[in-house]
Amino acid sequence: MGCSSSVPARNTGGLNTISNDSSPDASSKDLRAKLVLLGDSGVGKSCIVLRFVRGQFDPTSKVTVGASFLSQTLALEDSTIVKFEIWDTAGQERYAALAPLYYRGAAAAIVVYDITSPESFSKAQYWVKELQKHGSPGIVMVLVGNKADLHDNRSVSSQDAQDYAEKNNMFFIETSAKTADNINQLFEEIAKRLPRPTAS
Amino acid sequence: MDPPNPNPNDAPSLPAESAARLAALSLCGTRDLPPDFHTAEILDDDEGYLTSASRGGSSTSAWKEAPEGLHDDDKDGDDVSQPSPRSSGYAGERGSSLDDDADPDPDPDQDWARGKKHPHEDDASSSWRKRKKHFFILSNSGKPIYSRYGDEHKLAGFSATLQAIISFVENSGDHIKFVRAGKHQIVFLVKGPIYLVCISCTEESYEGLRGQLELMYGQLLLILTKSVNKCFEKNPRFDMATLLGGTDAVFLSLIHAFSWNPATFLHAYTCLPLAQSTRQAASAVLQDIADSGVLFALLMCEHKVISLVGAQKATLHPDDILLLANFILSSGSFRTSESFVPICLPRYNPMAYLHAYVHFFDEHTYVTLLTTRSDAFYDLKDSRAHIQNALLKSNVLIEVQRSLHENALRVEDLPTNPSSQSASHPPESSQDISSQSLSSEMAIGGPGGLWHFIYKSIYLDQFVSSEFPSPISNKKQKKGLYKAYQKLYASMHDKATGPHKTQFRRDEDYVLFCWITQDFELYAAFNPLADKTQAIKMCNRVCQWVRDLENEIFVYGESTLSW
Repeated sequence: MGCSSSVPARNTGGLNTISNDSSPDASSKDLRAKLVLLGDSGVGKSCIVLRFVRGQFDPTSKVTVGASFLSQTLALEDSTIVKFEIWDTAGQERYAALAPLYYRGAAAAIVVYDITSPESFSKAQYWVKELQKHGSPGIVMVLVGNKADLHDNRSVSSQDAQDYAEKNNMFFIETSAKTADNINQLFEEIAKRLPRPTAS
Repeated sequence: MDPPNPNPNDAPSLPAESAARLAALSLCGTRDLPPDFHTAEILDDDEGYLTSASRGGSSTSAWKEAPEGLHDDDKDGDDVSQPSPRSSGYAGERGSSLDDDADPDPDPDQDWARGKKHPHEDDASSSWRKRKKHFFILSNSGKPIYSRYGDEHKLAGFSATLQAIISFVENSGDHIKFVRAGKHQIVFLVKGPIYLVCISCTEESYEGLRGQLELMYGQLLLILTKSVNKCFEKNPRFDMATLLGGTDAVFLSLIHAFSWNPATFLHAYTCLPLAQSTRQAASAVLQDIADSGVLFALLMCEHKVISLVGAQKATLHPDDILLLANFILSSGSFRTSESFVPICLPRYNPMAYLHAYVHFFDEHTYVTLLTTRSDAFYDLKDSRAHIQNALLKSNVLIEVQRSLHENALRVEDLPTNPSSQSASHPPESSQDISSQSLSSEMAIGGPGGLWHFIYKSIYLDQFVSSEFPSPISNKKQKKGLYKAYQKLYASMHDKATGPHKTQFRRDEDYVLFCWITQDFELYAAFNPLADKTQAIKMCNRVCQWVRDLENEIFVYGESTLSW
């Protein structure tokens, strides 16, 4: 796991590095992590990020164009402070070819599907395979079933998703950006799993 | 991935009505028509516009039909209660209350978020047939790509019909420009494997509608580049609609702009009025970062340019500015957070993507940095921080906010003696534009019955337009006036009879005056009873006024390299 912190991606300005560029007075417990969200359009990637970063939920969903950049800092119980630099990518097909630009050098990837849409679950599996092939070695991957509040219309069972996640060595969680259910837990879990700087 | 699409490549099974239309078309003897086709069709329409324009006459009958056609909220009972389609396949020659031709929606966010208006409709719905202005994009195999109204997938048969009409004419070695069917005009634009079609009964000119289709195509290129053509070379049945996923709002917003934004027919951009010193401060900081590999840097407030800077030799076409601003303003996600997105400027290079960094400083004001480097995000983010600091320090953002509310040109403020007026007010102060006291004429517009004007500087590719005064306050009247301007523009620039230098025209709604010189184009609207001599005098005063204010209302001078 620790190797991801030593894989800075030159072509993204090096800001994705986790500990290489920490300033002298920064605490050794501070982490910077590049995080990318992938998934079909309309599964709620932006809603998850905006719930986490701003605590907001906007029911009039706005289609993400290209990729949006947001950052948020999270303090863990062990007093580690993680600064997430989040790339919220567009789910549209025309932007699929750009995804490597954003997941390259990422320390963590959230692959999102909509629990009411089997198609989005297939798309999620496509992204998992792509990340396994081309993502940073040791990237923390999370499978997220969003829109958990719509459980009446569920068409992807938790068990199937759980099985798939385990098989692919991923953490799995179901969230609702609308009700905020499990959103903070999701990012805390990622923060915990991030490799810590080895020496300081 | 392909949606169910029953229509075969060629020889689609046409619905009866479309077959009838095809037959009607062939009856016109397309093969013999080419030279006459154009003019004959226009004259048939008894619109009389072109003839009266070339005579320069002030006919009242010329536009008599137009206002009726333009009334969106006409309670045209006949049309609504008349379900039987006419021979053209369209009920309601004049549109009906169902149509909201480019009206801003009561809740645009909600509607545009989903992007599609009336998705349940298709060509079998009577409401769909009554829409006054349809836009379609389809592939040369007849696959639907975009439709303003209704679900593209359900319109597969209709798309195939349009494709059949186009290929029918092309098979005879000709190109179809438009077809008239009663009050409806069907305008075609063929761009390689992509076909664009507008079906309208809004009385707009062929040139005007064609220009709108050109912009629709430009918007499509901005999103996908012209290299999308390669997909059709590989696979003629390629489904392009999926590639445009989530962009309905962009096209809707552009169609809406056709009825309120003069930039769509003037091919010029407009600036936010600002004191010269404020604009210089903004330009200086953009210039600062233009050297760091940024191709274009634009600071804009809504659709108005605050400042723009291009790298050496790179120039930005006004149409590209229009399409870029439309794309950014109609996609809600840009306002939420800073974004990085590939876009193509069709007039700059239709084949290649540029990468755009977009950041909103406030609800209206945003910076766009364009580069050829796909990995430039963090550099541009730093540049933006630098710009933001400089703008805050020099109070530009505050001045912009103020200008948005105060600096508009109002015809009531038209100075009686512009030159002396400006001499007593140093042009450095941006408030001067609006500081003159409002006269008692406000209630009836400006002096001499002047209601509104648009002034385009040909040399600068920029225009300025006045605010709407009280006589033209509601949406319908504004749209009506814009359509009248569009017609005026088309007639003045008509290649067959023009170009013309002046036109004075009176009808029951307005007196319109147009004056074109080497330096500028002026379009002015007066109240219908305005005196001609008086109107011409006012136009001279407007021109003088604009010249006096040019440092504030235009991006002017050397600060922008490319201009």
